[in-house]
Amino acid sequence: MVRRPRPGTIVALTLFAWAAVDLGAQAVTVSRIADAVSVRAPAFTFIKGEPLDRLKDGRAVRVDLDLSVLPGPGARAAARSRQAFVLSYDLWEERFAVTLVGPPPRSVAYLTSTGAEAWCLEQVTVPVAALGRLGRDTPFWIRLEYRILDGDPPPGGDDDTGLTLRALIDALSARRQPPVWTQAIEAGPFRLRP
Amino acid sequence: MNAVTGCTLIALLLLAPSLTHAQDTSPPDGTRIASAQVSGLELSRLSPGLREDIGKLAGTPLDRQWLKALAARLEDEQPRYVAAVRVTADPDGGARVVFVVARVGDAEYHANINARYIVEDVEIRGVPDHAITPEMRADVQALTGKTLDSELAERLEARLQSGFTDYHVERRTVRGSVPGRIRVVFQLTRTEESRWLRFEPLEANALYHSDQGWGAKMPLTISGRNFQIVPHFAVDVGDDLIEEYSGFGLRVESRKIGTERLGVFFEWSSFDQTWRDPTLAAIPANPRVPAPYRNRMTVTPLAKFAVSPRLTVAGGVSIAELDSLDESSSDSRMANAAIAAVRFNQRWRPASRARHDFDAVFTVRAGTRALESDLEYERYLGQADYSVGWATHRLSVSSMFGGLTGDAPLFERFSLGDSRTLRGWDKYRIAPAGGDRMFHTSVEYRHRALVLFLDSGSVWDAGRDARVRFSSGFGFAPGPVFFTVGFPLNTSEFRAVFTVGLRLSTASVGIQKN
Repeated sequence: MVRRPRPGTIVALTLFAWAAVDLGAQAVTVSRIADAVSVRAPAFTFIKGEPLDRLKDGRAVRVDLDLSVLPGPGARAAARSRQAFVLSYDLWEERFAVTLVGPPPRSVAYLTSTGAEAWCLEQVTVPVAALGRLGRDTPFWIRLEYRILDGDPPPGGDDDTGLTLRALIDALSARRQPPVWTQAIEAGPFRLRP
Repeated sequence: MNAVTGCTLIALLLLAPSLTHAQDTSPPDGTRIASAQVSGLELSRLSPGLREDIGKLAGTPLDRQWLKALAARLEDEQPRYVAAVRVTADPDGGARVVFVVARVGDAEYHANINARYIVEDVEIRGVPDHAITPEMRADVQALTGKTLDSELAERLEARLQSGFTDYHVERRTVRGSVPGRIRVVFQLTRTEESRWLRFEPLEANALYHSDQGWGAKMPLTISGRNFQIVPHFAVDVGDDLIEEYSGFGLRVESRKIGTERLGVFFEWSSFDQTWRDPTLAAIPANPRVPAPYRNRMTVTPLAKFAVSPRLTVAGGVSIAELDSLDESSSDSRMANAAIAAVRFNQRWRPASRARHDFDAVFTVRAGTRALESDLEYERYLGQADYSVGWATHRLSVSSMFGGLTGDAPLFERFSLGDSRTLRGWDKYRIAPAGGDRMFHTSVEYRHRALVLFLDSGSVWDAGRDARVRFSSGFGFAPGPVFFTVGFPLNTSEFRAVFTVGLRLSTASVGIQKN
């Protein structure tokens, strides 16, 4: 007897496939703009959690973005680019502003968090020339990393007792020193269009 | 680096477009570098390798990719600084290289978009108004009525931090009463270590011991500034006592009764016991050990008084009812004891950045007929911990000693060989029914998550031989999760004892009784 799939199974599979496609759409895409390799990664978010709280307290936050081109997954970077940004949150406009630190300094304001993240990422490119044979003859991987610095130490000292929510968060994040939030993703393989 | 210097360097960074433009006519790659220097940061703050690489630049051909790589290394080593490379022509035809370094905070002063808003008010919360110094008030005045000066706000924050060392200072900027205006709020929160009285620690843990199995303790703290309520639960906890217990309790504590020097503590708990076979077998062999029990219900009221923020004394009673192990019997025995304790703790945070912590407590418990106790005994326990930490290193030395006289119930007897003491030994092999004499020392070195330890100690009954045991091992403890492997040393049997688990809010010293 041949068992037909149930409608519920079909719906579930369809939803699963849609989710997979959607996740794929969220993944890293690489493009060549003029003589530089540019990356888009909508799922690579860094305006969240404590840095976001800090921004909404009217303070500025520094974000370092590091883009590396790798010959293979987990391999040593063949080319690398880094940019530092200072983010702030306009308390009255309720939008984000970004300043690219270093030469040439550039600023942009009135952005949503997604827009601010995307703008930062656009500024981090790797010259095609630095890739050598990668991209033309051989595929390459991308590693994207952010580091957020300048957090305040947690209030209350070392002696919080018991299982408070804050203690749990602090403990699980091993947060005792002023924190550095960091995250990295790797994606590939990619090839550059001629 | 002072603020003026910082602003100067930032100005240099902001002048970068002209520098970039200048690079069109600046020395091309391959030009001999006449000199290379770092501006804005003392060279001594860089690693010897990076200093050497920068020092070796002079005389070599100009390579901008290499200079960028060096700047990136500099930022890696000094994450609170940003570095840019400036290359100019030397009158002799060579190239001059300058790494222009600026602190991140300086960049922030110029990059916070809220700096365009007028500060309508500055508020300092958490300290009495009379404690605010004229200098602080002057800073408040200087901030108010102008666009936000982040540098000045930072300066006031630093002044508050140095003026109120017992407080944590947090700065927030919030909307003002009308659009375009903002308020700056400095919230000062008193640090826990500056309190006259501390809340009694109660560890939350879940751990597995390869000889003793699983157990977990879970306190759920509901805490205010001076008051806390802690319902707590225990499941098969066998780590700290010779008994294995499960049950629950409620702890209520206030550390301010009219004055911060006086506090009260009250705890009620009810734990069911499970006894290991070695314990049950060992008890009949020692007539001085009272019978095991099925349930232990304890009420502990205490009063605490702080002689100074470092020295605390406490006194009270512990009323414990021990139900007979025979479930068909309603018999119970009382183990009621008077309690007296003195605790001293001290922390040093000298300018050398080494951190020293010392904590010591001496406790006496006396079961007496005056409290209608069926068991008469005296128990004393002294514990001391000292640790010194520098950078990512920490060295701790812990020691404790204790003694019992009379007919102390099993929960008062000492045991060694668990996740904290004589790691590598099993307490049910050393002294399955515990002992009435005990001493233990532990030396532990910690570097980041890596832990190395050497334990020694002995638990025995008065009049019998005290065999000193040693153990050593290593562990890995990233955050609250830990994994240790301990090896007994002075024995012909080679074995390893594993402990793995999760530990939050550790007890400050030694073994903690529940």
